[in-house]
Amino acid sequence: MPAVPTVEATMLGKLDWSAIPFDQPIPLVAGAVVLVAILGVLIWVVVKGHLPYLWHEWITSVDHKRIGVMYILLASVMLLRGGSDAIMMRIQQAVAYQSQGYLPPEHYNQIFSAHGTIMIFFVAMPFVIGLMNLVVPLQLGVRDVAFPTLNSVGFWLTATGALLVNLSLVIGEFARTGWLAFPPLSELSYSPGVGVDYYAWSLQISGVGTLVAGINLVTTVLKLRTKGMNYLRMPMFCWTTLASNLLIVAAFPILTATLAMLLLDRYLGFHFFTNEAGGNVMMFMNLIWAWGHPEVYILVLPAFGIFSEVVSTFSGKALFGYRSMVLATMAICVISFMVWLHHFFTMGAGPDVNAIFGIASMIIAIPTGVKIYNWLFTMYGGRIRFATPMLWSVGFMVTFIIGGLTGVLLAVPPADFMLHNSMFLVAHFHNVIIGGVLFGAFAGFEYWFPKAFGFRLDERWGKAAFWFTFLGFFVTFIPLYVAGMLGMTRRMQHYDVAAWRPWMIVAAFGMAVLTIGVICQILQLVVSIRNREALRDRTGDPWDGRSLEWATSSPPPVFNFAFNPDVRGEDAYWDMKARARQQSLEHDAPEYRDIEMPRNSPTGFVCAFFATIMGFALIWHIWWMVILGGLGAFATFVVFAWRDHDEYVIPAEEVARIDRVNLEERRSLVSMAGAI
Amino acid sequence: MSDQTHMHAEHDLAPGDEEQHSVGVRILGYVVGLALALLLTATSFFIAGTDLVWQPSIPVALIVLAIAQMGVHLVFFLHITTGPDNTNNVLALAFGLLVVFLVVGGTVWIMAHLNANMPPMDQIMRMQ
Ligand code: HEM
Ligand SMILES: [Cu+2]
Repeated sequence: MPAVPTVEATMLGKLDWSAIPFDQPIPLVAGAVVLVAILGVLIWVVVKGHLPYLWHEWITSVDHKRIGVMYILLASVMLLRGGSDAIMMRIQQAVAYQSQGYLPPEHYNQIFSAHGTIMIFFVAMPFVIGLMNLVVPLQLGVRDVAFPTLNSVGFWLTATGALLVNLSLVIGEFARTGWLAFPPLSELSYSPGVGVDYYAWSLQISGVGTLVAGINLVTTVLKLRTKGMNYLRMPMFCWTTLASNLLIVAAFPILTATLAMLLLDRYLGFHFFTNEAGGNVMMFMNLIWAWGHPEVYILVLPAFGIFSEVVSTFSGKALFGYRSMVLATMAICVISFMVWLHHFFTMGAGPDVNAIFGIASMIIAIPTGVKIYNWLFTMYGGRIRFATPMLWSVGFMVTFIIGGLTGVLLAVPPADFMLHNSMFLVAHFHNVIIGGVLFGAFAGFEYWFPKAFGFRLDERWGKAAFWFTFLGFFVTFIPLYVAGMLGMTRRMQHYDVAAWRPWMIVAAFGMAVLTIGVICQILQLVVSIRNREALRDRTGDPWDGRSLEWATSSPPPVFNFAFNPDVRGEDAYWDMKARARQQSLEHDAPEYRDIEMPRNSPTGFVCAFFATIMGFALIWHIWWMVILGGLGAFATFVVFAWRDHDEYVIPAEEVARIDRVNLEERRSLVSMAGAI
Repeated sequence: MSDQTHMHAEHDLAPGDEEQHSVGVRILGYVVGLALALLLTATSFFIAGTDLVWQPSIPVALIVLAIAQMGVHLVFFLHITTGPDNTNNVLALAFGLLVVFLVVGGTVWIMAHLNANMPPMDQIMRMQ
């Protein structure tokens, strides 16, 4: 009997009931739980009448602070998802000795691919971009970012990517190719399912969001600085933001182009990276790492900036070697584009090429070392307060040095031939990414939380979270170094070597300790919200900070500063803030003026809504829906481009009213300080 | 955000911001740019097909013309100048060129070595 195409087959592309994994309880139950949780929250929001508030104050907000907070929220939720994957993998490797464990191979492969993808693109990236959004305009002393609405579009497109990845849990499957989807495995002939398409389209869509965020932040730092804030007076975090976003602008198009070629292979029968017809797999390897290595510095540079701020604040001293720090940052920015081959030393480039790239990789450790010494010298002779942000920073220095050293080891080609794709490599990059990026994100979270929400976080739970995470990290990842040196390769669903077993069990135990750390972090948030009145930050300067974000109230008003601060001193932060404070305190009745701020706009949300539809339709080959989504997104753009009222005015009296409250608090603080 | 415009560092303008001339002068600039661009394009096509010049010089001439073409675009359409109000644009251009040079140069170099060391299967067969 000839197969008659049914209506569904034409209307819904590849989508049918077999896409729902009824036979696999783990993803189904996990998906169901998440779905129920989301529905529960939605119903609660609607019933309680919070929907208008959410819509007006958050979803359509173009306020950089709100967008920053939403980025961080997205990252935190995704951290829980990626963390669950990690727990599952650690348990699997602890039990799968001479047995299949509890996760079948095709499921295990999806988990490690999703884990890597989520952790890099939907945890680390949004977390640092969120912090940059939240803080950088405040540090520069300005009222907003360069492109407020575009900023919101960027956030919502990132959220779309995250949504699509998580959708793959219940509808269809995710890639089984690892977080970089190397061909030929990711080509149609070896991965015929929708997994790789979920991967590629989520990254294409969120990649646009990231690029937009990058352009916005570069422009903000270059073009919007308050009076007198010249480049060499900018706080270190602004410098690392600039460097990191320059890298985004330069590197993300490479990722987009590479994935676009992979998609052409998969959708239109091109042969860029196939085995046959003149395709070249190594070109993918080359291009993806030309993006991939800058990417790791995109993540870690902002973290370096956060540590610079935290270390100098909590040591009560100006940052040691500010100019060398700037130079080191920009050096890393350039050198990070000269080392990408170290990710495929073993794939046949030959001795000369390997030697050059190996040496370049080692050279990048020099500016990094400069930074470490600068932080140490900043602490030296300072009166150090070991508050939670400072603990994360000191913990980072210890952890990151180890990770950097193993990186330099891997950059020696002969050593890399032994260690490439072993558990040693896995330990290396977790060592730098957890110890560098995640610790940095947590330090920034603890440090700037009072600024964002107006109350401090509970120190006891914060310290507990730090110690559990710090110790848990070493118990989890030091065994992986050992297992790597015993020859264990990465991504093993099961194994038969007895010598590896104990290390996998220790690592699983370490994962449990890490989990306690995460739970402490959640409890910290809960406890702090409940005690918020006691923890209230009235002055806007809870840590005795050194840069301009502490010169306004917590949380800052929409317009950030009633007066754009005037930065005059050569002697950067401390002086700058003292001066800024004085200025606003000096005159008793300053002359307030009307302030114009950009209007809220649903453009970002609506665009992302259509992008989600389009992405989903592309994954499932539902062509009419692709067109619908594309048209919708385009129409949204046109409507936005044609609107004529894009700003609203906050009257001077309102500005005065808001500002006076904070001024009073600050006055009492200054007079107290004067009395001492 | 209008009251932030005065905060821009003085010697620093975005592309398009710098135009304080009248419309006529601006149009003239674009017309000159267009004419030069067309001239360079036409010359390239002419050189590529002609046998009036020494043949090996043709690729060199084409490269020179292409670079001149980029220069014309940068100066007349993207308004890159050497003036002090253009530092950001020039630096951005330099950074972009550096990255392109590193990535393209590195790629060519790496891929050439990979091809030499790991030729495709059929080529290995032929070599034996
Ligand atoms: C001194 C600095 C560093 C050096 C010399 C270095 C060197 C290396 C080398 C040679 C590899 C490839 C090993 C192999 O595949 O066999 C590697 C992998 C990796 N490194 Fe580093 N690294 C450094 C810092 C960092 C930092 C700061 C990060 C992230 C923030 C990072 C993230 C990664 C990641 C994610 C991978 C592996 C990705 C994968 O194969 O899936 N590295 N590193
Ligand atoms: Cu690398």
